[in-house]
Amino acid sequence: MSDRILEVEDLRITLDLGHRTITPVDGVSFTLGRGEALGIAGESGCGKSLTLKSIIGLLPPGARVDGELRFALDGEAPIAYEAGDVQGHGISIIFQEPMTALNPTMRVGDLIGEGPRIHEGLGRDAARIRAVELMRQVGIPTPERRARMWPHQLSGGLRQRVMIATALSTQPKLLLCDEPTTALDVSIQDQILGLLQGIRTRMGMSIVFVSHDLAVLGELCDRLAIMYAGRIVETGPVDEVFADPKHPYTEALMRSVPSFGASTGKLAGIAGRPPDPRAFPPGCRFAPRCRYAQEDCTSAPHRLAETAPGRATACIHPESLEGVE
Amino acid sequence: MAFLEVRDVTVRFKVGSLLAARIKREPPPVLTAVDGISFEAERGESIGLVGESGCGKSTLAKAITGLVPIASGSVHLDGRELTGRRDRNTMRRIQMVFQDPSSSLNPSLSIRKMLAELLRVHRIVPRDRIDDRCAELMDLVELPQSLLDARPRRLSGGQRQRVGIARALALEPEVLIADEAVAALDVSVQAPILNLLNSLREDLGLTLMFISHDLAVVRYVSDRVVVMYLGKAVEDRPAADLFEDPRHPYTRALMAAAPKFGERKAPGEAALKGEPPSALALPSGCRFRPRCPLAAEICEQDEPGLAGPSETDRAACHFAWTAEEVS
Repeated sequence: MSDRILEVEDLRITLDLGHRTITPVDGVSFTLGRGEALGIAGESGCGKSLTLKSIIGLLPPGARVDGELRFALDGEAPIAYEAGDVQGHGISIIFQEPMTALNPTMRVGDLIGEGPRIHEGLGRDAARIRAVELMRQVGIPTPERRARMWPHQLSGGLRQRVMIATALSTQPKLLLCDEPTTALDVSIQDQILGLLQGIRTRMGMSIVFVSHDLAVLGELCDRLAIMYAGRIVETGPVDEVFADPKHPYTEALMRSVPSFGASTGKLAGIAGRPPDPRAFPPGCRFAPRCRYAQEDCTSAPHRLAETAPGRATACIHPESLEGVE
Repeated sequence: MAFLEVRDVTVRFKVGSLLAARIKREPPPVLTAVDGISFEAERGESIGLVGESGCGKSTLAKAITGLVPIASGSVHLDGRELTGRRDRNTMRRIQMVFQDPSSSLNPSLSIRKMLAELLRVHRIVPRDRIDDRCAELMDLVELPQSLLDARPRRLSGGQRQRVGIARALALEPEVLIADEAVAALDVSVQAPILNLLNSLREDLGLTLMFISHDLAVVRYVSDRVVVMYLGKAVEDRPAADLFEDPRHPYTRALMAAAPKFGERKAPGEAALKGEPPSALALPSGCRFRPRCPLAAEICEQDEPGLAGPSETDRAACHFAWTAEEVS
């Protein structure tokens, strides 16, 4: 039995815009262990959501995927797959906005039971019983009553729980999360994160969690991958990355986050804006905004170099980083 | 008297079908979105307003701005009461920056037209000075003047939010209300906007009211924080004290629930269980009671008011100043 469940190698996503093509994800590689939770962090437009959606084959039409995706379905070594092989069989995804992701014309119970009906051939009644059971598992109070409700009758937190129940209905080995808590209040966010954490330990599920919120990733994830302009610039165990970032972009992100502690000093922020995917700068793509940039940064090829076991950075001058605070 | 005084402001909305109510011969259901909120702010002070969605924080902001009618209570600015009918000059003094800069800017107007229209209608500067003033406003929010002729769609999210701030500042307001002004932005973009708000407050002596659900952000920009729960203020204290030692169980729970950067905690273990009840069916006594770890018999009968050892340190809980630790 292999201890890896997912391998992504040199993933490249090309979008055809009609008059030109862009490559918003450009050579992303990572692996995911069984039961592991990987967080992918980065700003809007860095390609983190596209990377996630490509794993389950939900890219917009016209997108071309190069590179290799391998998934271990039955405890064997990971093998290459087609999207149809894993949708409903092993991989599920939950999205940010549960109102737009849930079909508004279906009752919640039917929505959750749809997966088992299609993929396991359950009958109407059996599917309904399964749906109520799943709703109970994700902590929806009075599931029998709520199963007959429509999505619009539920609060945001409950809708997100319904989406999680839908994702779990096909007993996935891997759950992909696309900013599922961004639209929620902190208290509800905390409940949903706790729910995901509980499901993960109970079912031994692996998770890839995409978010722009480093603090959220820090709670749920074991390992972190920081993305910038279509590439992974740093990976490592969450605690180590937070304690000692090895890439200037990670450091800059951390300096931008206001903390609970004393409010002295100014937040750093990052000057400029992420590069346009139509014209990525040569060499290190963060170099134009980097406070440590040196001359060779704009020419060196992108390579994730290991700095310690399990940690890697794409920065060629990681020694010059000053650290946060 | 403080510069901005909000006294017992209550905002009510009629909800549901008026026809159904008439058929049933009942008064239409009324939702009390803001229920007797009072606070004051001095000139140049920054007030943070925190709470979950639906707690009425945005409605309160709109009531102060004059965008929503006030059912009872009053808003005083600089010693004068602001009524529901405000003239142009009064409206000018309180301005708002909204959450989503892409939907709050007119997509068919260039930034210059947008700002010039305000300056012209409100007669802020003489006609021949309008162009200069537009350029000054762009400098003020740290945007290049070359963007004056751009339409909003050409701008990034952070730039749009700066335009939103410039638009509010064009009217030379004395109070600036930022309603979730950074919630839609990436952290790297959020930080400079927060810095900008802070420096504008210092340079222009603006009174800032900052509304957010993000406690860390509120901490960063506010001198004082009002925590709201279901239309009521549950805690009103200086930011430093509040974050150091929250007294209301709701504030404590909110803080425990927020993921803290660089501090590992297990999610889902915060004291805040369930969701806020509907504002149409409030529990008796203290409205936080059903979710409160401290709830006792007295909480069922008596709704606690804001009280505390001093005028500036107040919390609305029977046990706020007695219970030492909440687990």
